[in-house]
Amino acid sequence: MLLISVAIFSCSDDDSPLNPEQGDDDNSEEPSEQESRYVVAATPNALEGVADYLLSIESLNSGSVSLIGNGVEQDGTYRYYISNNNKFFSLLYGQGNPGAVTTYQLNANGGLDMISDFQAETVQSFTNVDDEILMTKISRNSTNPIASWYRLDTESSQIVDEGQINTQDIIDNDELAFFTWMTQVGDQVYAPFMSVKACCNDTFGTDYPDQAWIAVYSYPEMELQSIIEDDRTSYIGRYFTSGLGVVENGDIYAFSSAVATTNGEASSTKPSAITKINAGEEEFDDSYFFNLEEASNGYYMTEQTYVGDGVFVLNMDPTASKGAYTTGNRLAIVNVYDQSFVWVEGLPNEDAITSITSQNNYVEDGVVHVGVTTDAGSYIYQIDVDNASATQGVEIEGGTITAISKLSIE
Amino acid sequence: MYFKYFNSLLLTIFVICTIPAIAQENQSIKIHGTVKDENGVPIEGASISIAGTINGVITDQNGIYNLKTKLTGPQQIHVSFIGYKTHSESIILQKGNKYQHDIILEMGYNLSEVMLLGKNEIQEIEALAYNVDVIDASKLKNTSLDVAHALDRVSGIRMRESGGVGSRMNLSMNGFRGNQVKIFMDGIPMDNFGNAFQLNNIPINIAKRIEIYKGVVPVGLGADALGGAINIVTNTYEKDRLDLSYSYGSFNTHRTNVDMTKVFKNDVVVNINAFQNYSDNDYKVNVDVADVNTGAYTRDEEVRRFHNQYHNETFIGNIGVINKSYADRLLFGVTLGQVYNEIQTAQRLVRVFGQRHSRSTIIMPSLKYQKKDLFISGLEASINANYNFGKEQVIDTVNRRYDWYGNYKELGNGNVGGEQSYTHSKFQNNNGLINASFNYKINQYQKVSISNVFSSFDRKQENLLNPSENDYNPPRKSFKNVLGLGYQMEQNDWSATIFAKNYNQVNNFIQSYRDSDNDDLQEIERNNRINNFGWGIAGTYFINDKWQVKASYEKSYRLPTGNELFGDGNLTLEGNTNLKPESSHNYNLGIAYSLQLQHDHHFYIDGTLLYRDAKDFIRPRLNTNQVLQTMENLQNVTNFGGELQINYTHRNLLAGINLTYENLRNNTKYVGGTESLVYRDRIPNMPYFYGNGNLTYNFKDVIQTGNQLSVGYNLLYVHAFYRYWPSLGSGDTKYGIPEQLSHDLTATYTMNDFSFTLEIRNILDKNLYDNFSLQKPGRSFTGKVRYTF
Repeated sequence: MLLISVAIFSCSDDDSPLNPEQGDDDNSEEPSEQESRYVVAATPNALEGVADYLLSIESLNSGSVSLIGNGVEQDGTYRYYISNNNKFFSLLYGQGNPGAVTTYQLNANGGLDMISDFQAETVQSFTNVDDEILMTKISRNSTNPIASWYRLDTESSQIVDEGQINTQDIIDNDELAFFTWMTQVGDQVYAPFMSVKACCNDTFGTDYPDQAWIAVYSYPEMELQSIIEDDRTSYIGRYFTSGLGVVENGDIYAFSSAVATTNGEASSTKPSAITKINAGEEEFDDSYFFNLEEASNGYYMTEQTYVGDGVFVLNMDPTASKGAYTTGNRLAIVNVYDQSFVWVEGLPNEDAITSITSQNNYVEDGVVHVGVTTDAGSYIYQIDVDNASATQGVEIEGGTITAISKLSIE
Repeated sequence: MYFKYFNSLLLTIFVICTIPAIAQENQSIKIHGTVKDENGVPIEGASISIAGTINGVITDQNGIYNLKTKLTGPQQIHVSFIGYKTHSESIILQKGNKYQHDIILEMGYNLSEVMLLGKNEIQEIEALAYNVDVIDASKLKNTSLDVAHALDRVSGIRMRESGGVGSRMNLSMNGFRGNQVKIFMDGIPMDNFGNAFQLNNIPINIAKRIEIYKGVVPVGLGADALGGAINIVTNTYEKDRLDLSYSYGSFNTHRTNVDMTKVFKNDVVVNINAFQNYSDNDYKVNVDVADVNTGAYTRDEEVRRFHNQYHNETFIGNIGVINKSYADRLLFGVTLGQVYNEIQTAQRLVRVFGQRHSRSTIIMPSLKYQKKDLFISGLEASINANYNFGKEQVIDTVNRRYDWYGNYKELGNGNVGGEQSYTHSKFQNNNGLINASFNYKINQYQKVSISNVFSSFDRKQENLLNPSENDYNPPRKSFKNVLGLGYQMEQNDWSATIFAKNYNQVNNFIQSYRDSDNDDLQEIERNNRINNFGWGIAGTYFINDKWQVKASYEKSYRLPTGNELFGDGNLTLEGNTNLKPESSHNYNLGIAYSLQLQHDHHFYIDGTLLYRDAKDFIRPRLNTNQVLQTMENLQNVTNFGGELQINYTHRNLLAGINLTYENLRNNTKYVGGTESLVYRDRIPNMPYFYGNGNLTYNFKDVIQTGNQLSVGYNLLYVHAFYRYWPSLGSGDTKYGIPEQLSHDLTATYTMNDFSFTLEIRNILDKNLYDNFSLQKPGRSFTGKVRYTF
């Protein structure tokens, strides 16, 4: 009797996991002549049991895609995405634990196939260096001031080298260097950092809020070459955020949000600004200073996206509510050559926006695709940088957009 | 004239009413006969009664009985005696007749079953208005189960664990989990006891029975349970007893238990309970093994767990007096214990450790006082107090990265570090508890109860790696008080109770703020107060001696715990001092039916419908820089579910199944202002359809007269479930926990005071999983020897 009833129930349930008949095969649509797909990562609008979903979409300009029954489920949320070598990498932020990094490619139908997974550490910086991904796990603990870096070969999806950096030894104070991000500059890697106490109930606080540093490393050896300093701004970039943009002629532009904290409160006296390092030089250009707080009349930048020809899209937020982890809901377009500043028109009001993509925007042909969520839903907007205007594109139903990328069908 | 007429009418009515009564008295029916056993030996002291009446007689030394009744028509006659099966039979009675009725009683094996006239304690509790299940622990004492695994066999309860002996475990009951389900030992809340004394290391032998209250929790168990409570009732102290047992099993698992009570002259009583669990837990798991250097996975390797040892040693001693004028029971005791626990994996199996471990201790003095008829007749008092000086520590000081083969590489070029994070911290929560409850029996039918539980929490924390941080040890205190008041009415065929509870909490901590005048960072000591009222009502009605219905409702609250408020010392949890209580409306409707066919086929069927409407579920989220979890009031959830239990006994055969279905639905419509796509979707990562089946057969007089062999089989079934929201994503890419089916066999041979048990768990060596696909042990064998007297 028991066996019978168990058998009946186990066959008749519609929620049965691992049932291959359920749902469509990795949202593959009709095969089309298009040879590429946009890959959009979305986090469902829910409070627990949340996993990210990867959607492959033909066009970002119109239409609607729902997460119901669609998308490749990721093993949990708090994931970060990067693409390189026509592969899409999904990294788990594992709270200090190594996690699986899964790699996807497009199949002939435009669906996402998982081609491999491998184990990697939880890192706070990951960046493309040619066809490798450089990942760095950074210490926030003064008793153990060791950062570890890993070089991932995107062809084999394996870690090919690793090394350690003592972050206590980088700056000549009693604090640790905490890399905000790393950026390839020619054959070197530039690593801007903030100085952090890494102790005493003020882990990310500092006694040096008015100073900028960039550590320059050789690649692939990751040996410290020099440190570039500047006292006109606070640190470059932010926690988990890139603060460097390399333009076509090799000049490097550095972005400071000026969000250093001491004992949990904003403590920098410097404005949010853009500074510059000329190509081939290893010092800041004293003659260049673009004060963003003045140009925007009371806003500071939180993240930047490089479009081309000296044009960046910036996420901006009012200085009155400065936060070290805030993402600005208002977008501006700046040209770092002539220091022009213009607000983007056509987006929902900044107060209405609950989430906006910043580091994972996708740029193509002078258009920036940005994911925006309001109470009315989530849409990908197309920002035309020439007109500084935004147009509403595809709707992603049920999720907050976290990353936009593009892969080709091979 | 009119008056006279009225008087004569009254007289007439009086006469009409009394005549039949007199007539009936004259026409009382007599039933007589003898009661004998199967060998024709007369039984003295057997009771004979007619169902639905309180009349009953006892046989004399010749087994002869004489029963008088006024009832006519078909009537059920029950005949019972300890050690024999109850005999029931229907006879048709006619006025004025005499009946001779001789009865033969069959030998029975189950004492509790034949005690129909005097219900045993377990039946008494199940007859209460609450939705309650009782595990009779005496039936499980020959197994090697701990309390948690015994609970796993109850309908509506799922025990989820991360591995073998002593592993992290979590109970869920009707959709509530973790701290939402309160656990008591002899009515004392156990949440103060720390890791050193928890359900996963307490042997079943410590318990006499376990009561499981679903949805509605009686006032006597005064605490802030959201969705139910489990009360472990330990063995009593009134008579000399000794219970020794030792078991050895797969994965080098040793368990020993000593339970001893000695009553001296002058009613001084000493009780000692000591137990020990040791296991290497080195069972095999199937895992993708990552290379420590390249990160490349080798698929589906079968590897042995190599850093998974667990052992605990616990001693509970009580000394005191019983049966004194000032106390029925006054006991002073202490619980001493320690746990060593190697941590093999993180939340997921792919993350492996080789050195990380934790230690816990418990040092807890306690006081227990009980007195019936205190000062006045009918007033019963019970007072308990304890204070826990126990410490918890996690040690992660080896800077290595391990793989599943046990290989490792050194990290950090000789610098210090940890496998997860360089940690050696120690903290002590200084939990204190005082619990007092009073019952007053107004008369045979009515009772009032008042109960109060006060508990305190005072965290002291030590960082052994960075002692300079110890100077910064701000107050982290929490005081809770739960006061309950109840009234109970009990009649022959129904009972009802109504109660109210007041929940109070004060949390004392330091908060930093920016002074508006001089812009300096200031610290202020805060006292956050929480004050809530809940109430409930429960009723039961016996339609006849076969059918019972129960209904209950409670508006309940659960206050945040110290760890949720103040974190766990930066191991995994960051505190959130702004937490609000969780609340829930709990409804139960149950119906039970017992049936007897052909004398010796007994069926008991119990069905329950339940509905839970819960708000502000406290759930973990990652903190701002995503290193630790922090608890928040997140989610609203409803659960409309049902449970079904069927038990069957026939002579020496005992069989039962229970099935639970829970329809847990997300009731949070808006998230961050936007309507959620998963509103009303099934809550993921929770088992929602599961059950147990069991079959026991007792062979009498095996090898030698009086020796018994008992063979039992247990089946555990859990339906597959998704780890993330069922409706999202395409079906073939979804992560889930597959269907679980596990078979256990137990055989026990009992002779004199000894019993020998052989147990095989997970006979088919199936891969069993739990949270986040953490794999549990495969087939295991255990042998146990037990001596009782």
